Amino acid sequence: MAGYIPMQQTNPPLESSRSTTEPRLVRFFLIAIVIVFLSLFLVLPLIAIFVKAFDKGIDVYFASIRHPDALAAIKLTLIVALIIVPLNAIFGIAAAWLVSKFDFKGKNILITIIDLPFAVSPVIAGLVFVLLFGTHGFLGPWLFEHDIKIIFAVPGIVLATLFVTLPFVARELIPLMQAQGSAEEEASFTLGANGWKTFLFVTLPKIKWGLLYGVILCNARSIGEFGAVSVVSGHIRGLTNTMPLHIEILYNEYQFSAAFAVASLMSILAIVTLVVKNFIEWKTKTNK
Amino acid sequence: MSIKIQNISKSFGSFKALDDIHIHIKTGELVALLGPSGSGKTTLLRIIAGLEAADQGSILFGNEDITHIRTKERKVGFVFQHYALFRHMSVFDNVAYGLKVRPRKSRPSKKEIEERVYELLRLVKLEAYANRYPTQLSGGQRQRVALARALAVEPKVLLLDEPFGALDAKVRKDLRRWLRRLHDNFQITSIFVTHDQEEALDVADRVVIMNEGRIEQIGSPEEVYDHPNSPFVYDFLGNVNLFRGRLHKGKLHQGNFQIDAPEFSDAENKTAIGYVRPHDISIEKEENSKDGVSAVIKHIHVVGPIVHLELKRNDTEEYLEAELTKDLYNNLQLKTGEKVFVKPKQLRVFIPEDYTI
Ligand SMILES: Nc1ncnc2c1ncn2[C@@H]1O[C@H](COP(=O)(O)OP(=O)(O)OP(=O)(O)O)[C@@H](O)[C@H]1O
Ligand SMILES: [Mg+2]
Repeated sequence: MAGYIPMQQTNPPLESSRSTTEPRLVRFFLIAIVIVFLSLFLVLPLIAIFVKAFDKGIDVYFASIRHPDALAAIKLTLIVALIIVPLNAIFGIAAAWLVSKFDFKGKNILITIIDLPFAVSPVIAGLVFVLLFGTHGFLGPWLFEHDIKIIFAVPGIVLATLFVTLPFVARELIPLMQAQGSAEEEASFTLGANGWKTFLFVTLPKIKWGLLYGVILCNARSIGEFGAVSVVSGHIRGLTNTMPLHIEILYNEYQFSAAFAVASLMSILAIVTLVVKNFIEWKTKTNK
Repeated sequence: MSIKIQNISKSFGSFKALDDIHIHIKTGELVALLGPSGSGKTTLLRIIAGLEAADQGSILFGNEDITHIRTKERKVGFVFQHYALFRHMSVFDNVAYGLKVRPRKSRPSKKEIEERVYELLRLVKLEAYANRYPTQLSGGQRQRVALARALAVEPKVLLLDEPFGALDAKVRKDLRRWLRRLHDNFQITSIFVTHDQEEALDVADRVVIMNEGRIEQIGSPEEVYDHPNSPFVYDFLGNVNLFRGRLHKGKLHQGNFQIDAPEFSDAENKTAIGYVRPHDISIEKEENSKDGVSAVIKHIHVVGPIVHLELKRNDTEEYLEAELTKDLYNNLQLKTGEKVFVKPKQLRVFIPEDYTI
């Protein structure tokens, strides 16, 4: 669910004119291909998850979800998301503000750096943090001396997730704020408003839907992130397992029904996210 | 409040957008900044408002140096070239904004704000539109909302960047008359930018003509129109005929013309250009004086009370434009293809070395 990476907000599709419409047969084939693909690779697996989850009956399903390790994993996942999303929103707004309202050298380099987590494999991202904060890492001895645990602990998971989700909000807001320009902000200043009030009353209302969209995607990714978190987590049950890690462990232990029960929970989260996302897209379109 | 703009310069990279600008504007004056596109008008206005920092020079409001004071403290009303209305706010909220964002101590009560906003909306004749959003307004209505919004904070200085840019000729004319009255009633010092010379000459107390980041001339509309100090200003303010000829001992020789130019009495055989406005060309049917030159009428078109003639000179084959009143035209009974004698009534000579256009 979280592998979806929007580089830019999609524009409403242009209405196709008659001259550009494909012949019927071609259109039919294209539709058929898309439907086959979607059912084979999206709908079917989704159904399979739920079928498998309820394989051993509803009691096993709820027991797997209510298992202390599962509950701990759910709690940790939500805590991480709760920390990540506000941090990302703040960073995203700050970065978009910087890029869209100021001119400075190295602006393009900054934008590229913001995109870096999209280009780097999450596993490598995780390894970077191990290299930095692990026992044999760069800052390891110092952290050990001061009794601070980052790797194989919650801070490591938060850091790794933060790295992976960094571009979401910023990437959403930069094109939006660049397109909007700063004329309204300037008008606000001439009317005697200070920077904070200008942000609150002028900028924020203009970007709120874009911001929410970025937040939703960031949230989805932070809940679903596996690779980076897997490297830094240490897989300590009840302590450093997030939902995806917990599912993997259950699966490796052949507890398929339990694994799919938790997976179904994540799928529901994903579907809710999609619905909210579509609502926001619809809302931004009608707002224009 | 008077405005003093003192040797302001501004560059964007290596491009000089403003070069050593000096303007003193008296309290209550309405000044037009006039110039072709890209001449630095908006940039100057933005510097006065504090939206852009000048590279050098200073700006004084009254006796106070405000060069380093932030926009929000300058208390200027700014009407932007493209309105810059808050698009997520209703007309009412747009106009109320400046009052609502005041710190609590100086903020008027909700009721006072409402009264003030409706008063302004009445002024710009938009009371009925208070609940609309900017996208639901026409260009002229948006412009008036922008004006009401700027006036709401009772600025001492009003800066208007092409306030009537996007409007049709009729509405433009109405609105600029209205702006003039408004300006007189509110006792504000105003600067408005335009690249429409007619608009500038029509409403402003004084006109500042800018070109490539420099001031070409400052003066009353009459002064700048009747006594342009450079070929550029001559060219920019209205139509003009060029007489390229030779200047020798106070006379400009051109084709069969010999025109007096007493201010150049010591010139010796210099290339020079005489500038004559179309309405300063006199037309006669008979050769009354020997300095008239014969020409053929090629086109006649009548616009309201003015008659425009296009003539071709017989001596140099050059084309000329002339304007005369309808009365005179009727008296002379001119026809296309007719031979007449033309003579400049008033002409201004410039030697091209000094100026380039
Ligand atoms: N932020 C900027 N960066 C670079 N160049 C700029 C910037 N702002 C203005 N310029 C340049 O400065 C010059 C003057 O611009 P300005 O907007 O003041 O012109 P203007 O007289 O208002 O023109 P117009 O009548 O078309 O509005 C132009 O050549 C413009 O390209
Ligand atoms: Mg401009």
